[in-house]
Amino acid sequence: MKRILLSSVLVLGLAMSAHAQEAVIGAILPLSGSSATQGEDQRRGMELALEKINADGGVLGHPLKIVTEDSAGRTATALDAAKKLVSVDKVPVVLGEFSSGITIPIAQYLLQQQRININIGSSSTQIRSLGKGEFSVLGLDDVSGAFAAQDVFSSGAKKVAVIAPNNAYGQGIAEAFAAKFKSLGGAITSTVLYTEGQTTYRRELQQLAAGEPDLYVYTAYGKESATINRESFELGLNEKKWYGLYLTMCTADSDPQYVEGQIGMDLNYIGGNGADYQKAYEAKYKSGFTSTFNGFAYDGVMLVAAAINKANSLDPQKIETAITEIGKNYEGATGPIVFDADGQRSAQPYLRLTIASGKAVATQ
Amino acid sequence: MSDFIIHVAIMSGFYALLALSLNLQAGFGGLMNFGQIALFACGAYASALAFRFDLGVVSGFVLAMVAAGILGWAFASVGRNLQADYWGIVTLALAEVIRIVATNEDWLTGGAQGIGGIPPLYPGLDNQLRQIAILVTVALLVIAAGLLCRHLMGGRYGLAIKMMREEPQLAASLGYDTIAIKRQLTVIAALLAAVSGFLFARYVSFVGPEQIDSSETFLIWAMIVVGGLGNNAGAIVGAFLLQFTFAFIPFVKDWIGLPTEYVAAGRLFLTGGGLIAFIVWRQSGIVPERVGGGRYV
Repeated sequence: MKRILLSSVLVLGLAMSAHAQEAVIGAILPLSGSSATQGEDQRRGMELALEKINADGGVLGHPLKIVTEDSAGRTATALDAAKKLVSVDKVPVVLGEFSSGITIPIAQYLLQQQRININIGSSSTQIRSLGKGEFSVLGLDDVSGAFAAQDVFSSGAKKVAVIAPNNAYGQGIAEAFAAKFKSLGGAITSTVLYTEGQTTYRRELQQLAAGEPDLYVYTAYGKESATINRESFELGLNEKKWYGLYLTMCTADSDPQYVEGQIGMDLNYIGGNGADYQKAYEAKYKSGFTSTFNGFAYDGVMLVAAAINKANSLDPQKIETAITEIGKNYEGATGPIVFDADGQRSAQPYLRLTIASGKAVATQ
Repeated sequence: MSDFIIHVAIMSGFYALLALSLNLQAGFGGLMNFGQIALFACGAYASALAFRFDLGVVSGFVLAMVAAGILGWAFASVGRNLQADYWGIVTLALAEVIRIVATNEDWLTGGAQGIGGIPPLYPGLDNQLRQIAILVTVALLVIAAGLLCRHLMGGRYGLAIKMMREEPQLAASLGYDTIAIKRQLTVIAALLAAVSGFLFARYVSFVGPEQIDSSETFLIWAMIVVGGLGNNAGAIVGAFLLQFTFAFIPFVKDWIGLPTEYVAAGRLFLTGGGLIAFIVWRQSGIVPERVGGGRYV
């Protein structure tokens, strides 16, 4: 134990002497555990942002540095990481995490310590009430759910069935969608929340079909959506329209013949920063987006770097003021970012997409 | 830095209570409880529910104790005639049932979104002072729990439990009611685990189903295996050692300058490698079980 303590003190000394001049920010991501795929994708977004920032001259005249910690998808580990970033690395800003169940406790701690938390992946509406110093660069469930419900309703569907993963994201978006869809006068025939990692979803799909909806609304991560799309094709459920929430994430790993003709909504990567960003991602990682989360991580880092430069200081209070200022109208890769009074992204320009000949095509 | 060490010490304290509790069951009683995290969940969710429904801290604590007591009793009663390993599977299944209920009954537990904003312990104190007060509270609890376990296991009762573990038929032939002993033991252990869960919820201010995943149970198992099965000091040592190792791995990463894409791999490598080293070179743990009689006999 003594040796560990000693070496950690040594490490600390080395770390401090080496980077005394640099702007250092923190990130907590699920790089291992059940959300590791999304965590790795968030990391990619940050890496692209870091490359761009440092190629353009860095922050306050020095290259920006991000200390990334693994949360392992556990609250306890994430909290350890947050405490380390605050009390040892002394970072003014921490980006992360992915799950709402982890973002909320670490954000509470960070705000209590007068630091800033940038939420880049959690969409629980509980985040809105955390307080000053909390910013979300993605629209929370109420924003995306309401957009999708409006979109589905205006497409003419009045009776829909919803399938989503049984986690904080799935429960949140299914609830927000249903609330808006019902208020428009539509009906939800059934909502199925599935357990991730199953080898088959036939039972869930048959349960959905039993309500005889006009349209199916679904959202799923790569692997699960591949199974869901294949099985819904086999069961003949694809005769009705399928609407994907974050469509490119839903169809990324699916066989194109099963998803042909699906419609849905997704983040807007077309035009301006978005298209450049998408090109940079594809060039570096030799594949399309693994999830929708890399773009938010990218925007989070870019926004913080811009804020530090604007504040010309590493003081959290000044950075916060700068973020509020910049956040009145910031042009991000995921579209314009405008924060409301609670520091939450108030609106998000989504795309309406259709899968035609195996490709997602925007339709307005 | 000192803030960080205080935090890690507090977390270690929570795990030390859980490890002591599991050690009572598995180390002394030979009860392979793979659902330990569910006992912790009783405490954590009771704390959160009391906050959510405005019941007050005291009734939250009573709720935690009652829930954990009932669950401990249920653990010991369900499949009481099963062999140790089959019983272990039953406990794992029961714990999973509890996790699934917590994930799905959102009117009660907040579902996958959990319950947030739980007020901390000692809300009147400022941050620094509060951390120290929590540390002192947790340290006192760990010491008290350690002494309680020592008292229980040092006497006749402890000998009966060890006999039940080694030679259940002999224990029964000598007139010990082994089922009753198992029930008492799991209920006592359950209460300890629930205290840990109750305080943990107040400390991290958030409770959600991800916290009570079965992998957490195996972390507690790792603690008592490393520390020494069947030794109370061992359970505490194991909890502190593992918790501090986990907390300081990020420093090792900074020190050797690991690129971010290897952060998780490095963590898994170090923890996995460390555990294997223990199993290969020191199977009885850091503080091995003491064979022999109690001091109160």
